[in-house]
Amino acid sequence: MTAVPPTPTDRTGGTAALPPSGPLLVARGLHVAFGPTVALADASIEVNPGEVLALMGPSGSGKSTLLHSLAGILRPDSGTVTYQGRDVTAMPDAERSALRRSEFGFVFQFGQLVPELTCEENVALPLRLAGVTRRQAHRTARDWLARLEVPDIADKRPGQVSGGQGQRAAVARALITRPRVVFADEPTGALDSLNGERVMQLLVAAARDTGAAVVLVTHEARVAAYSDREAVVRDGRVREQVRA
Amino acid sequence: MRRRRSSRLTELVLGIRMSVSGGRSGWARLALIATGIGVGVAMLLLVASLPTVLDTRATRDAARVPGTAVAERGDDTLLVKRVYSEVGTEIVVGYLLQPEGTRVPLPPGVDRSLAPGEAALSPALLRLVEAPGGEVLEGRWGERIVGTIAPDGLVGPQELWFYLGSDQLTEATATRVDGFGRGTPGGSGVADPVTLLMALVGLTGLLVPVAGFISTAVRFGGEARDRRLAAVRLVGADAATTRRIAAGETLVGALGGLVVGAVLFAVVRAVVPPLIPPSLSFHGADLRPAPVLAVLVALLVPVASVLVTRSALRHVVVEPLGVVRLSTVVRRRLWWRVALPVGGLALMVVPLVTDGRGAYVGDAQQLVLPGMALLLVGVALLLPWFVDVTVRRLRPGSVAWDLAVRRLQLESGTAVRAVSAVVVSVASLIAVHGMLGSDTGMPGLDGERFEAQVLDDRPGSDGSHWEAALAGTPGVRDVETEVRMRVQPVADGEEVPLTIGSCARFTATTGVSGCAEGDVMVVVPPGADAPAAGTEYVLGEPGSGASTWSLPATAATVEPTVADLAGAPAFLFATPEALDGAVVVPSGALYNASVTIGLDRDVPDAAEHVRTAVATIDPTAMVMINDPEATSPMIGAIRQGLLLGTLALLAVVGASLLVNVAEQLRERRRPLAVLAAFGARRRTLGVSVLYQVSIPVTIGLTLAVVVGAGASTLLQAGSGMPVNVDWAGIGFTAGGAAAVVLLATAAILPLLGRMTRPAGLQGE
Repeated sequence: MTAVPPTPTDRTGGTAALPPSGPLLVARGLHVAFGPTVALADASIEVNPGEVLALMGPSGSGKSTLLHSLAGILRPDSGTVTYQGRDVTAMPDAERSALRRSEFGFVFQFGQLVPELTCEENVALPLRLAGVTRRQAHRTARDWLARLEVPDIADKRPGQVSGGQGQRAAVARALITRPRVVFADEPTGALDSLNGERVMQLLVAAARDTGAAVVLVTHEARVAAYSDREAVVRDGRVREQVRA
Repeated sequence: MRRRRSSRLTELVLGIRMSVSGGRSGWARLALIATGIGVGVAMLLLVASLPTVLDTRATRDAARVPGTAVAERGDDTLLVKRVYSEVGTEIVVGYLLQPEGTRVPLPPGVDRSLAPGEAALSPALLRLVEAPGGEVLEGRWGERIVGTIAPDGLVGPQELWFYLGSDQLTEATATRVDGFGRGTPGGSGVADPVTLLMALVGLTGLLVPVAGFISTAVRFGGEARDRRLAAVRLVGADAATTRRIAAGETLVGALGGLVVGAVLFAVVRAVVPPLIPPSLSFHGADLRPAPVLAVLVALLVPVASVLVTRSALRHVVVEPLGVVRLSTVVRRRLWWRVALPVGGLALMVVPLVTDGRGAYVGDAQQLVLPGMALLLVGVALLLPWFVDVTVRRLRPGSVAWDLAVRRLQLESGTAVRAVSAVVVSVASLIAVHGMLGSDTGMPGLDGERFEAQVLDDRPGSDGSHWEAALAGTPGVRDVETEVRMRVQPVADGEEVPLTIGSCARFTATTGVSGCAEGDVMVVVPPGADAPAAGTEYVLGEPGSGASTWSLPATAATVEPTVADLAGAPAFLFATPEALDGAVVVPSGALYNASVTIGLDRDVPDAAEHVRTAVATIDPTAMVMINDPEATSPMIGAIRQGLLLGTLALLAVVGASLLVNVAEQLRERRRPLAVLAAFGARRRTLGVSVLYQVSIPVTIGLTLAVVVGAGASTLLQAGSGMPVNVDWAGIGFTAGGAAAVVLLATAAILPLLGRMTRPAGLQGE
């Protein structure tokens, strides 16, 4: 059964109330530079369990770099990221991979589905990487595609589906392992407003349904409207945090 | 019109600018293309240098061939005799020189006349003599080594050659000449049919992969280029313009490839000649492409590159908002792919059907040569279809397997193009290995005993002195002398071959037992006429002082049992005791003493000890070693050449795979980074790449083994050789190719590690 997604105006819907156990992810004093370009300069932020956090800011402000640092994709030049008390920045590569495999999910701007796999195979991929049997992984993938209202694209390759359908498959792929945190980098950036709205509704609803926190990078206010909290990133720093 | 031409030039120049202005990624792509084309160009330049190398070798060799014989002794004449020796499996060639005057000519590379016992050796031969263990060669080429032969007197730096001063030559045993350099370059100029066949198979096996390699390299970075072209379309360029821009981009890579190829060729020129086996040695300076061929390479590679790019663009529609590929809907058809190899096979089979075994040694080559080429080229065409059909039927498996199989199902063209080079190479190498294996597999070629045979053809020598002279030589177990001559009846009648030797040699050469000292045998193969008992013969040249001898009535008539004597004329055999003190005077080329020396395998270098001992006794005597456990020097040289060729080809194949996989990874950087972001293990991705490379390679190698072994069987039958499958050759070649695939994949893992960092998602 598909969960009922909250409407954009219903910002407190679902399980927005924060549990008392403290932040899930904590970033402190992050510095990241790409050559002479400083992307993050002493950036700090916290992500609480189950919350939807929107990282906003202009292009080049460091939003995606902050998201990648929080997710253990990027190792900052200095500063720390801790996940449930564990220092992600100090983890070896294999351990960070395992963390991403079991605890995190990802949605990217262009879906970034693996082009040679069918949509069902793409959705099943994280489960299979985690060691779930092929049969079980595909059964769960089909359920998730249905839940995201695109059951008919299961056997199609990403090149054969529309951007909105592909992005829903990407959301299903991000949530199939029931991660604790979903990182979404401009998830609606390549979609028209109608499709963008629907993808956001489904993403947030499914995340709340599974209890996952969502870290959402966007520069669109209407996308940020789905969040519980907004943080503005400017010149590599988290300047202000607003509880929505 | 002029404006239109100028506009086209501008578009071409725009393409050139786009190819060099793509930042680090653009330069990486350009470097890959240039490296890929460069390796191909280097191979083409090497092939284009073959005529020059062969010509120069022939010219250098002809320059040291003694001139035509002169009758009168003069102040500028000398006696010369070409002599052969061997060190291990390498042939050593040289001349004995005996000046007859004070103004004698010198062979090239030698700057002074050699006194008796003085020798000039090639540097490679001198190195052998001076190397550890070289003591066994001391004295083989004279008592004193007085210098080395200069490079202009040698066909290559590794050649084993010598000149030795002598005082033992006579007009009867040597040739009187008054100069060098009157030989005909290139000898007969016609290779024997089997060698020609092997050469063609080898050359096809080399050129087809090179062509495939260049065409693969040209396609590198195709997707990125298509995206750039789409951007150009967005600002108003039409389809024809994008094609010209693409041509401009390709030209830069092709020209870079020419430069890289020239540099690689120069490196090969400097590095490789010292590594070439002595019998194939050539000077680095002689490795020059024939000018016409070099110009053709310089022109055709860029032109072919542009044509390949245009052909690749046929399956792509570049639109302003993106690129549409048509390739996924095209199913590969079998009928036209199978036409070429089937046609080739038909050309090879027809002569066999009509003329039977051995049909290829003759006019049938006009069919067989193109047939073989068509068959090998056809394999490259069949492979994409085979891969297509096979990967469609592969069942799902692990994540790594699924990723690889799905990738191949979606687009196998790039992987197959890289592998087709491997397949054609391996098929042709297996065919050549098969022919060589068959050549060495002929039974009874080397006998069963480890022994040396010395041919003493000095006039008047009955070989009786050899036993005493060789006494004490390390490794010599026994010495038996046989005199072979033709004896003339005193009355009218036909000459008959007569062999005087021991019963042991008689049994060994005829297979007939029951011989005793003092026996005389009349050996009559089936169909031969036996000479009559009581006939009187002269045991040497009439007037030489040789005795007359009568064929006794007690002589037993026997039939030989060894296959070698089937169809031979009848001959007489006598033990020395049977001649009862008669004087035997062998003389001339058909009359010689043959000394058989049993060798002790347990004595290290026994054969070398005997060769050296024989050379010190008589430098003109020819020594042949029969070692059932060794291959003949000629086959050894061919095998060495083939081994070198195989290794060179495998190196090219490895380089080809490496750059190909690198390019595939570069193009798939983002999906790989996404997989890594999801926590995919490096091992999973590495194994996936290995599967992606090895699935087409396995299919290709299977096809290559089938086609190569089949072609080898046809070639063996057609050349009249024994038909057998050279499993060792197949194993070596296919195993080598498989090892190259593994090595190439292993070598790509560090790059895969960099490509699959999730940080690759970062746009900055």
